[in-house]
Amino acid sequence: MSNLGLAIAIIGAVLSAALAGVGSAKGVGLVGEAAAGLVSEDPSKFSKALILQLLPGTQGLYGLLVAVLLLSRIGVIGGSPAELTWQQGLMYFGAAMPMAFGGFFSAIAQARAAAAGVGIVAKKPDQNGKAIIMAAMVETYAILALLVSILIITGIKI
Amino acid sequence: MAKVEMKKIEIIALLSDSKRLIERLQRRGVVEFCDIKDERLVKMNTASNLATFEKHLAAVLSAREILARYAPQKQPLLAGLSGRKEIDKHDFGKTVNDVDDYLKCCYDIIELDKKTAAATASIGKNEARLDALLPWRDLDVDLDFSGTRETACLIGSLESREESGEYIQSLTEADVSVVEISRFGNKVNFAVLCHKDDREELLLRLREAGFTPPPETGSYTPAERIAEYEKRIAAQRETVEKCTQSIKAYSGVEPQMDFAEDYFRLRSDKYEAIGKMGLTQNTFIIEGWIPADCAYKIQAEFEKKFVTAIRVYEPDEDEEAPVLMRNNAFAQPVEGITEMYALPTRSDVDPNPVMSFFYYLFFGMMLSDAGYGLLMTVATWIVLKKTTVEGTLRRSLVMFRNCGISTLFWGALFGSWFGDAPQVIARQFGKEIGSTALWFEPISDPIKLLLFSFLLGIIHLFVGLGVLFYKNWKQGRKADAFCDSIPIMLTVGGVAPAGAGIFINTVPANISKIGLIVSAVGVVLLILTAGRSGKNIFSKLFGGVYALYNTATGYLGDILSYSRLLALGLATGSIASVINLVCGMMENPIVKILLFIVVFPIGHIANMAINLLGAYVHTARLQFVEFFSKFYEGGGRAFAPLTVNTKHLKFKEEIINE
Repeated sequence: MSNLGLAIAIIGAVLSAALAGVGSAKGVGLVGEAAAGLVSEDPSKFSKALILQLLPGTQGLYGLLVAVLLLSRIGVIGGSPAELTWQQGLMYFGAAMPMAFGGFFSAIAQARAAAAGVGIVAKKPDQNGKAIIMAAMVETYAILALLVSILIITGIKI
Repeated sequence: MAKVEMKKIEIIALLSDSKRLIERLQRRGVVEFCDIKDERLVKMNTASNLATFEKHLAAVLSAREILARYAPQKQPLLAGLSGRKEIDKHDFGKTVNDVDDYLKCCYDIIELDKKTAAATASIGKNEARLDALLPWRDLDVDLDFSGTRETACLIGSLESREESGEYIQSLTEADVSVVEISRFGNKVNFAVLCHKDDREELLLRLREAGFTPPPETGSYTPAERIAEYEKRIAAQRETVEKCTQSIKAYSGVEPQMDFAEDYFRLRSDKYEAIGKMGLTQNTFIIEGWIPADCAYKIQAEFEKKFVTAIRVYEPDEDEEAPVLMRNNAFAQPVEGITEMYALPTRSDVDPNPVMSFFYYLFFGMMLSDAGYGLLMTVATWIVLKKTTVEGTLRRSLVMFRNCGISTLFWGALFGSWFGDAPQVIARQFGKEIGSTALWFEPISDPIKLLLFSFLLGIIHLFVGLGVLFYKNWKQGRKADAFCDSIPIMLTVGGVAPAGAGIFINTVPANISKIGLIVSAVGVVLLILTAGRSGKNIFSKLFGGVYALYNTATGYLGDILSYSRLLALGLATGSIASVINLVCGMMENPIVKILLFIVVFPIGHIANMAINLLGAYVHTARLQFVEFFSKFYEGGGRAFAPLTVNTKHLKFKEEIINE
């Protein structure tokens, strides 16, 4: 039980990268399906469709970001893992949770909005900015989750 | 600098001048035609002309596409960025005479393409028939051969594993003679002879066993038929080849097609405008919108050139003028962002001048990497210098260049050059250089930057309220100007120091206290004034309290929303650092150099692209949701003058200013 804390912290980092990543993967895939349908009709709209497809991809990056920040704080990146008590481990674990769950669900919800936005690009291509903004509204909550995770991780003193 | 004032213009001129006058108006491109609805005037029906032009335009476009398919042209890398080609009015006039020839080329190409498609389809059909007949090649009687005087002949196929002669004989009691033509697996193709009297019985037996006639029948042998098909296919192949060559021979006329495309666009625009005019026996009347600053110039010019009566006048109160924004070089590039939201209405002010500053500021803060900023600035600067890109694309490029400069500025303040690349590289040579930040590194003190983001947010929101104040004041609603903005500013601004005290404990107690008193004054003012439109004292009071609730929740949410300035900035820098970390991870120096060569550029370009998109989108969001909601209505209609709306050519400037 010498380094149980470290193990708990690492599971937190893993969940942050994994859940947010899964959410983004699902989301990007979902929009990709809608976008492919559009591009098959009109290949010239590829770039506009691609931007919409990319939007739910950021959650995965945020998840990665939180994981790396956490791992470098506890010294797993850098080569000298810190000795953590299980309480400290739980703190880090908790810190990663907003990003893990916020990222997972917001990526999928954002993907739905973006996939619907593909319809805007199909019918009124000059209005694609509005489709982007609508999908980006959802991302706000991923950003807030990211913020909370970062604030907690940088705030924990070991 | 802002929204351009619009006037109405009325032009009455002789019908005999109509063509020249309208063409001149089109080249000036400053008048938007209104549809005249006066029953005493005749309208010209331009629908059929319009339809013809649209048809020709579609033909040109489709011919262009066909030509690109048959004879693809190599496009230089930056071809999409080069602007329209300049052309003299005189040359244009000369080339116009040849438009019919160009159009003929286009219809020719379409016709040839149709022929090719038909021939290709027919080749497929003939090949299928030929394939079906191949197993019958060795049958040396006509396909419809039915027998001699005494015998009957049946030709067809059966499924059978056995030797065909024995099998068919076993089906019937009559004497038969079987000639097997060919066999593919279980399928036997054969001709069978029997006595005329046995024909019906044999046919019945064969049908019971699954007899099928050959794929076609007629007074020819299969071999003759196959030869016939081969001849047809060869002929059609030749047609395809010939047509393809003919289409390819047209390669090189693309510029003429571009000309024709522009020409038909111009003409259909013109006829659309003509359809809006009103006519009398000998005159025509144009009514339209014109920017005030060029109205009198146009009036003077046209009165000198033509026999005409021109009147410039103020629009009616209830007329919604089309919107034309005109801004200086600093604010003009972000007009596209405002257009994406909505154009200003008559009562709105043009938000671009104020918004542009915050747009660049926030964009830079969200991307906040000096390396990326430098790349953006240099790349857009080169494209702007080296190409003749124009229109909205140019506007966007200028916007990204300005955003790049802002990104460079913030990146230098936060000490982020491709993340922590300087530190990582120095470490490879055994040196430790500390932070390069001119201010501080966000990751070392995120709370500080969070509060700074909120501060910027409050300033942004207050500027929005300031614009509301200005807008109301200008419309003469001075009381509203005060009541709608000052109490909110006092309330929110007063609470701010105490709010910051939640995060840090270095806020002086005095300031917090004074702030709370100011805030309390604001709250009282808000309750007293916000419900002023209510009918009685209760609804006034209720309105005030409700407004207080809205302010408290709304502004709290708005301000917290600016935390994205910190979060997105941290995301860029941290992901960049992860890329650098991967590059410097291996001990082996050769692997390390390889990683630097491969991972560094790819990783950073990917990171830059995705964060660029993020910064673009979220900066726009802060403007649309937080900022515009304070003062901006939106919903104006864009000014759409009759103009030279071409894609490939433009008239030389001096012609326009003759």
